[in-house]
Amino acid sequence: MDFDLSEDQKILQTSVREFLDKECPKDKVRELEEDEQGYDTEMWKKMAELEWMGVVFPEEYGGTEGDFIDLMILAEEMGRYILPSPFFSTVVLSSLPILKYGNGEQKEKFLPKIANGKEIWTLALMESSATYEASDVKLRATPEGEAYLLEGAKLFVPYAHVADHLLVVARTSEEEKPEDGITVFIVDLASSTGIEVEVIPTAAHDKQCEVRFDRVKVPRGNVLGDVGRGWDVVNFIIQKGVVLKCAEMLGGAQAVLEMTNDYAKERVQFERPIGSFQAIQHKLADMFTDVEGLRYLVYEAAWKINIGSPSDLLISMAKAKANEVYQRTCIGGIRIHGAIGFTREEDIGLYYLRTKAAEFALGDTGFHKERIATELERS
Amino acid sequence: MDFKFGEKEEALRKEIREFAREELPPGWLAVMLEEESRDEDWAFAMSISKKLSERGWLTMSWPEEYGGRGSSLWEQLVYLEESGYWGIPGTMMGISGVAWVGPSLMMYGSEEQKEKHLPLIASGEPDGVWCTGYSEPNAGSDFANIQTRAVKEGDEYVINGQKTWTSAAHRSRWCWLAVVTDPNAPKKHQRISVFIVDMKSKGVTVNPLVNYAGYHIFNEVFFDDVRVPASNLVGEENRGWYQLMTSLAYERGSLGPAGYGYNKRILDELVRYAKENNLFQKHDIRCKLADMAIEVETQRMLASQTIWKMSKGDMPTYEPSRDKVFNDQVQERLAITGTEILGAYSQMDPLHRDSRWSKIRGCVESLYWLFPGISISAGTDEIEKNIIGQFGLELPRSY
Repeated sequence: MDFDLSEDQKILQTSVREFLDKECPKDKVRELEEDEQGYDTEMWKKMAELEWMGVVFPEEYGGTEGDFIDLMILAEEMGRYILPSPFFSTVVLSSLPILKYGNGEQKEKFLPKIANGKEIWTLALMESSATYEASDVKLRATPEGEAYLLEGAKLFVPYAHVADHLLVVARTSEEEKPEDGITVFIVDLASSTGIEVEVIPTAAHDKQCEVRFDRVKVPRGNVLGDVGRGWDVVNFIIQKGVVLKCAEMLGGAQAVLEMTNDYAKERVQFERPIGSFQAIQHKLADMFTDVEGLRYLVYEAAWKINIGSPSDLLISMAKAKANEVYQRTCIGGIRIHGAIGFTREEDIGLYYLRTKAAEFALGDTGFHKERIATELERS
Repeated sequence: MDFKFGEKEEALRKEIREFAREELPPGWLAVMLEEESRDEDWAFAMSISKKLSERGWLTMSWPEEYGGRGSSLWEQLVYLEESGYWGIPGTMMGISGVAWVGPSLMMYGSEEQKEKHLPLIASGEPDGVWCTGYSEPNAGSDFANIQTRAVKEGDEYVINGQKTWTSAAHRSRWCWLAVVTDPNAPKKHQRISVFIVDMKSKGVTVNPLVNYAGYHIFNEVFFDDVRVPASNLVGEENRGWYQLMTSLAYERGSLGPAGYGYNKRILDELVRYAKENNLFQKHDIRCKLADMAIEVETQRMLASQTIWKMSKGDMPTYEPSRDKVFNDQVQERLAITGTEILGAYSQMDPLHRDSRWSKIRGCVESLYWLFPGISISAGTDEIEKNIIGQFGLELPRSY
């Protein structure tokens, strides 16, 4: 067993950290929360120059042929710096399924533009039920000639307001099992009519949108994977995306732990640093163990994916744990900070405001515990 | 990053599973610490110790010259996980010898002490069974506050005082004893020494302390003018505290993998019970089982990370304390949630766990009755969290 990153992975981690330390201080995060686009286009270009977007792509699509652990390192560091950017929606939620399910033409057409930072993508999956159940995919796609017509609405679609393309999960037929009859479409926003995008006022101002489709015409050639087999694509996205979302949350929890620990050493009350009091030490010790436990669970789940034998059990364990740990760490951290932790000036609140978006992305705690129970029952 | 075991470890795992199948009665499920209580259980445990010794497993990580086989820490981890899982008795030889007396002697003992005691412990014989005399009536978490005195007289030390909560003292041939040798030292920590005391010495009295569940695990031990050869002093006089801090890390370090193995077994048994009784239909029970599974897997990773650190040659600092607290938390959850799953069947007397009303051979409720005590042994969680704060987070000392 080896718990360490390889030398190359450590170099990548250091370079990502140095870049974000310089480019994404917390004042930048606050500024981008108020910005209409919600990300920094100059920074996005630099990220593309650093070859982050195509990190796992083959060279022919403009990538650097890295592995899943490289992607996990990027996600963890982005979570640590709470980088506001469409990286997750473009690379994780969209490019990975194209890489896996796209045909040659689709890969050639879309992946290089993602790798060089020219295009922003996102996934439109959730609907008004706000769950990840197949039965809740209701947006209709009706065949009409050489095209399909999309009718319905999607919720909490990240960065749809600046996206060039959407992956839309739609129902193409009513079957006995809700997982059947679902199809994923590639929708070009610029050339489509009938799409309305509205930014939802979330607490983190992280640009999640409602996207409404009014008889939107999508050519048949824009189906990703097979018609009626879209739920496989969704499961693939959930599997990979969950682990990378967990890595983001791990990075966030680690940052909150560190800033709280530093504060406990500096802040003096009763003529002593508050970190010398057992009431504070024990809370910090619990937070520390929480974060370390989460770290190795996420690493194990990522490693399994990387060696080609993903474990749904471990993946769901990691997300259920991440949901609880990120939240607990933020709440404990704010308590230890005292009233200053409740202010806009202190960084910890920025993390807390992002806990719910992360918790409900790609499956809440109940969703994943249910999956764990199913695996246990099967064992 | 690589989380799989090598072929050597996997082969060992298979070998231990075969051993458990062959040597343990069918359906064997152990309860922690139970083996020291009843005579017949103790005799069985000692018979297994002997067999473990013959296989070279009992002290596998020790050098060959001392009765080990120089196994890697990873092999030892596998051995501890598996012996915890199958409930193989006799792995500890009492409670001290294998886990920390041996490693401490290798670090601080004289040649004579090493030559005499290490092979005895490794032999799996009753003469290699040890207890540890640390706690006293006024020295629990504040361990440096011990009062038991050793006074040098010629070639001997004369020991007077009382120890308490001494696990397995009634089964032990030797005591690993902490005493005060310099009452005038400027600091409490600079007055402590460690001695090897033969429990058969004149003046040693062992009184049982029976716990509320009816087990005889720990004892009071009185020392009245007990004469010990000066050559039984371990390491340097008055450096005992510092030696013990190192050996405590060993005690807690072996706890993670063994605790994980045991906890994983309880979880697997609960899953099986839930399947057999159609409890997977109930949403709350599905959630409870999922919760336990997450924590047990997390424990596995944390315990492995500690071993990984040690395998690189780094000294564990806060990690054993972290793993100790985590084990306590997992066991508390398994005990409370597990008894909720068993319902009214979880109120059985642990001394009658072969009764026909006991489910999962009474393991779950036994854990419930015992976990508060287990969590206090080898350092309370509160003391452990102080260590995590001080060494893991570099916070200022709290006391």
